[in-house]
Amino acid sequence: MDFPILSLITWTPFLSALIIMAFARHNPLLVRMTGVIGSSITLVASIWLYFNYDHAKAGYQFFEWFPLVPSLGIHYQLAVDGFGLVLTLLTAIILFAGSFASWTVKTRGQEFYALLLLLVTGVFGVFASLDLFVLFLFYEIAVLPMYLLIAIWGSSGEVRPQGVFGWAFKRTGVGTKEYAAMKLTLYLLLGSAFILVGMLALYTAAGSTSFSLLDLQQVKFDPALQSWVFLFFYVGFGVLAGIFPLHTWSPDGHASAPTAVSMLHAGVLMKLGAYGLLRLGFGLTPDGAMQWAWLVGGIACINIVYGALSAMSQKDLKYVVAYSSVSHMGIVMLGMATLTEQGINGSVFQMVAHGIMTGLFFALVGLVYEKAHSRDIFKMGGFATMMPGIATGFVVGGFSSLGLPATAGFVAEFLTFVGAWQSAHSWWLFPGVIGAFLTAIYVLRVVKQIFFGPKSEDPHFQNLPDAQGTEWVALVFLVTILIVFGVFPAIIAGPIDSATVALLNHMGVAR
Amino acid sequence: MNPLSPLGLEVGLGLLMLVVLLLGIFRPAVPDRRAGWVSLIGLFSLVALSFAAAPAEAILGGSYVVDALALFAKRLFLVSAAISVLATLSLPSERFARRGAEYHFALLSSLLGMLVLASARDLILLFVAFELMSIPLYFLTGFEKKQDTAPEGALKFFLVGSVSSAILLYGLSFLFGATGSTDIAVIAGAVASGNVLAKFGLVIALAGLGFKIAAVPFHMWVPDTYEAATTPFVAWLSVAPKAAGFIVIFRLYLEGAGSSALVWVPLVSALAAVTIIAGNLMAIPQTNVKRMLAYSGIAHIGYMLMGIAAISASGAGMVLFYLVAYLFGNMGAFLVVQAVGTSEGSDKMDAYKGLAQRSPVLALSLLVFLLSLGGIPFVAGFWAKLFIFRAVVDQHMYGLALLGAVATIVALYYYLVLSSRMYVDEPEQKTPVAVPAPLLLAILICAIGTVVMGIYPEPWVQGVMKAARGLF
Repeated sequence: MDFPILSLITWTPFLSALIIMAFARHNPLLVRMTGVIGSSITLVASIWLYFNYDHAKAGYQFFEWFPLVPSLGIHYQLAVDGFGLVLTLLTAIILFAGSFASWTVKTRGQEFYALLLLLVTGVFGVFASLDLFVLFLFYEIAVLPMYLLIAIWGSSGEVRPQGVFGWAFKRTGVGTKEYAAMKLTLYLLLGSAFILVGMLALYTAAGSTSFSLLDLQQVKFDPALQSWVFLFFYVGFGVLAGIFPLHTWSPDGHASAPTAVSMLHAGVLMKLGAYGLLRLGFGLTPDGAMQWAWLVGGIACINIVYGALSAMSQKDLKYVVAYSSVSHMGIVMLGMATLTEQGINGSVFQMVAHGIMTGLFFALVGLVYEKAHSRDIFKMGGFATMMPGIATGFVVGGFSSLGLPATAGFVAEFLTFVGAWQSAHSWWLFPGVIGAFLTAIYVLRVVKQIFFGPKSEDPHFQNLPDAQGTEWVALVFLVTILIVFGVFPAIIAGPIDSATVALLNHMGVAR
Repeated sequence: MNPLSPLGLEVGLGLLMLVVLLLGIFRPAVPDRRAGWVSLIGLFSLVALSFAAAPAEAILGGSYVVDALALFAKRLFLVSAAISVLATLSLPSERFARRGAEYHFALLSSLLGMLVLASARDLILLFVAFELMSIPLYFLTGFEKKQDTAPEGALKFFLVGSVSSAILLYGLSFLFGATGSTDIAVIAGAVASGNVLAKFGLVIALAGLGFKIAAVPFHMWVPDTYEAATTPFVAWLSVAPKAAGFIVIFRLYLEGAGSSALVWVPLVSALAAVTIIAGNLMAIPQTNVKRMLAYSGIAHIGYMLMGIAAISASGAGMVLFYLVAYLFGNMGAFLVVQAVGTSEGSDKMDAYKGLAQRSPVLALSLLVFLLSLGGIPFVAGFWAKLFIFRAVVDQHMYGLALLGAVATIVALYYYLVLSSRMYVDEPEQKTPVAVPAPLLLAILICAIGTVVMGIYPEPWVQGVMKAARGLF
């Protein structure tokens, strides 16, 4: 066996977390340095992984295999294909930026970094696992720390308990950021319940011998079983991907979470949902996927338009970004539902592009809040003169978000729209385009109001500093990558395409 | 007599009871703990003995069996009793120390009932053992009689328990009437040949057993009884008698019945579904941790009923696995409640504020127990739930599995609320919670059991499957 590079990437954050808890307690600088070193190692290893992946051969590479519970057919089995490769790279990029963006966490810093790194271990594990059961375990690791991260270090903002949980909260007296944390955790675990039952159904239908994705792919499941198992996967992973109407945890959660957690969650964790659906839903139950593609695409259209409209009506800057994630995840789901090569390429490209731009946005919102202590769009104004760096980042991120050429967002949206037009439901193109148009409205409105509008008279908003020191790292890094991926899309489009072709061949879809 | 003979454990326990009784008669004028220590040492020796014992031939004309299932159940009863007695040593009350012999004598006689029950394959022996188990429990619930809640809880428990015994007996009388035999093997044959009266008797008996295991709608006595009784006893009460109820269900409904047991699927599935939903929903608004655990315990009974609804060796085996996981998780949680309750004088959720900063070990243990009860990976409860779901999915009952999986999310809500009290909230005072050494030891035993089962479930699975295989 070769060098276990995937295990290195997966477990380095976990080891860093252990080191932080064991040795670096009560030494804030050491905690941060350990976090940054750990994330740098994973970034370097991910880049190494990218360059050593045999792009000509494609398919699953870097196999690792180790029996865990042989009697149940559970093995620690890792490998990446094109999808896993680019998403691992994305995760490493966001983690690297996030570990710098958390520099200013003040209370209980060592626990914050440890939980953050633990969570990332789960994310890497999901992208690399070929064993469904291990994938599920990693999925849970990725979801659970979120509760504490939001409940302890979050901000209460304007979140108020509403709806069915309202009465329960009054009686147990939980505060509002805890409401967001609880809502997010329960929604995501609800999703994992559906995933678990779907997984077990496939496992028993295949003869209860193996949880390996490769083995299960060989089995031709009964179409009726495929149909409902796909729906289970769609609901289960869809919750995490923010599908309408199960998306409501996302704005509350992302708006309440601390900066780095929002970056990771919106940037990477939501992609776990889309990736899981693509890998398990489309890969294992292709008949179900084809049967329900109209539903996936239809709901994705609602996501795109509804998310954009909701983002337009927000006053809180962080909510704007959070709702824009709902809209952009709609594009991811739409691309997938087209069942065309361009569409799925666009879908995965959008996962990467949205991951980076939403990471950038949340980092910027965090910076603005650091300086101005406000997230209210209509109170702030004319910040561009005081913080040109942050303003530049915001404008580039915004352009990518609305799909301007030469940014990663353009490539993703273009591919998706081509796919939508080629698909059986060509009308899907129109909600997509309307969504892109609405995105332009809300992004430009925010940019104009906060950075280029008339200068605010409020004494709190005078002489604010620009980004400083380590804060520049995340900013410059993410802006650069956004443009590099926009100008040279082949860097990630190549591996994605190889995996897409393999997936479509497996599904037996005519291209 | 050979100590490993079929009746060795029961005889040993009987001797231990005599010693404790004598200690009570010849006790010194000052309060002492001798009864507790003697019981503890005796129980630990019996635990060791039970693990050395091997399955043996049935004796007393086939009405008393020591098969793998009986032995498994006996180990479970003995271990849980030992943990409970260990924790009891930490109880501060002076009155308790003076009446220690009575308390331990009652507890041991109930335990004796359980040991006999696990082996009974005859209706009369089964019912007598059942009563021997139940009656001391009523007395133990009202043990702290000067507290005004204790008599209420004890009386409620006694009335419900007596009625349920009567219902059980009524159902058993149908079985005898229909088959002319008290031998469970004969009854299983009668049910298999489609005897309607025998089936009717078993339905009624299920209602009686439903009270004992506290399945909804027979659960009303649970929260009040738990709130009234001393916590180390409640920890035991919440596990051992329930396990005994499940063993009786195995013997009456599954053993030797083969495919004819399938008639119980709709009934038991419905009971399981209602119990899971109602238990979890009623746990949500609780502000008293003991009551919350009582309702969550009801929901766990529902999950075990799911395993029975699967009517398969793996289903029954996984109920046993679940019982072991539940033993460690639930007893452990109650013991932490005991520690906090003694120190803070309150079982309310607010008493747990900032526990992580005051007593990290206690908070971490409770977190482990709650995660296990909630079914989160890497602790025992996850595998327990997973195996139960798998057994149910194997029988193509996807709806029931989904309901169970979704209900775990409801349960996680109230477990998370309590966890966030410990980990998110700031403490009102900084002083650590004082935990007596025996109690801490009992908590650690439960925590280690939970984690070991979670990380390495394989040998435990082998053990429970060996015990359950004889049923089918």
